[in-house]
Amino acid sequence: MLILAFDTATDVATSALVSDGEVLGERRSRAVTVLEDIDALLRQAGAHTRELEGIAVGIGPGSFTGVRIGLATARGLALALGVPVAGVSTLDALAAGALGALPVVDARRGEVFVLEDEPRVLAPAELRPSPGTLCVGSGAVRYRSVLEAAGAEIPADQDERHVPRARFHAQLARDFGPAEAVEPMYLRVPDADKTRK
Amino acid sequence: MILGIETSCDETAAAVITPDGRILSNVVSSQADLHARYGGVVPEVASRRHLELVTPVVQEALRDSGTTLDDVDLVGVTAGPGLIGALLVGVAAAKAIAWARRLPLAAVDHLQGHVASLYLEPDPVEPPFLCLLASGGHTMLLDVQERNGKPRVLGATLDDAAGEAFDKGARLLGFGYPGGAELDHVARNGDPSAYAFPVARVPGLDFSFSGLKTALLYAVRKLTAEEGERRRADLAASYQRAIVRALVERTRQAAEQIGATRIAVVGGVAANSELRAALAEARAAPLALCTDNAAMIASAARFSNPIHYPGYLGLDAYASTA
Repeated sequence: MLILAFDTATDVATSALVSDGEVLGERRSRAVTVLEDIDALLRQAGAHTRELEGIAVGIGPGSFTGVRIGLATARGLALALGVPVAGVSTLDALAAGALGALPVVDARRGEVFVLEDEPRVLAPAELRPSPGTLCVGSGAVRYRSVLEAAGAEIPADQDERHVPRARFHAQLARDFGPAEAVEPMYLRVPDADKTRK
Repeated sequence: MILGIETSCDETAAAVITPDGRILSNVVSSQADLHARYGGVVPEVASRRHLELVTPVVQEALRDSGTTLDDVDLVGVTAGPGLIGALLVGVAAAKAIAWARRLPLAAVDHLQGHVASLYLEPDPVEPPFLCLLASGGHTMLLDVQERNGKPRVLGATLDDAAGEAFDKGARLLGFGYPGGAELDHVARNGDPSAYAFPVARVPGLDFSFSGLKTALLYAVRKLTAEEGERRRADLAASYQRAIVRALVERTRQAAEQIGATRIAVVGGVAANSELRAALAEARAAPLALCTDNAAMIASAARFSNPIHYPGYLGLDAYASTA
């Protein structure tokens, strides 16, 4: 199965073309230019858009706008190509790229998205990693001092385990179906709804 | 066929037009009800809704037109100005559709889209003309010399847009959101000379509506609740008269200044009955094409220089023209 995978939820947009588990190419850029990467991946692999059999897209949590760019891209591709889509949590993809690690994504406003038993948003200080826990992701880099003080271990800033890699989205993708059934994972309500309540 | 997509504010819209400007479908999914409880458009709420609606609306537009993507030769999408998070949803979807089919993509300016609502069949307007663009987000006078290219801006609002003035006034008078259309309706039973609301005179061909809104606020405050209720139609009529008078005076002044023989009116405020009547000599956009829609975006795409594959793959949206 030829799968195009991408995730634009974090500052680093990742994309990969994977054929029956074999990674044909993987690239990184920004959300706005993710289609340039996708185009390059197909050209380098000598693949045609018609040959794509599934799209695996990162659904967040992350930047709201970034998540939407990824999902709108996936829905547009699905509409035009008639291929099914599967959503993959950005946190799950990070975890798959660093086995045993706790994924921590920067959620801005002094908070992080983490995958404890389920995806949550909380302040870095509320995160109590057991000593020696490996933490990866943009949130782990940003709140290194807080998390290390709590006993976490964090790879060097440039370590590739800190960014989601789309090969893992392709690997984790299950239940390919209609694109509109794949929903974003925001984990936060709009501010306007908070003040109303 | 040309597929148009528009997501710049609170309408998710898609349309299919023919290469000679006939509308085959024009689907607009308004979020007005969703935003009414906030009393205005909330960008994050709008962006979330656009994502839910954008591809279903495109599919509906294709279905309604009796065409498929195989018939589409060009995709036009609003790239700005507007709410950036909202625009990016339409731009991402449009880029993906164009890339998947190797179609050219036109990055349409929303304001030129409003002007291009005049170029659609069955009764297109031929430039040159002076165009008053008045909507909830913009109020400007444009010197339109040709169908493609950016028109010269002769004047613009210094503060609130005309449509914003209508909606804010409507709110002060206790109408729902967006209340411009309801205000127009109620004003028909009121006396437009009951209150003398000031029309700000700013230099040149610019507009200013913020003082008018304040004047209405003071007028409403002076009244008891019961009086306010009784005089609501008079207040609405007088307030509307002041906005329309400002728009008409400036438009005629601009027409004289550039020697324009033809005047056109576009944008949501072009649906206002008093404005349409006061500028009887002008060509107004068809009612269905005054508020945001994608037929006008497809129409603008028709006269634009489209970006060919792969030039648009990194296309970004822009919030403002400046």
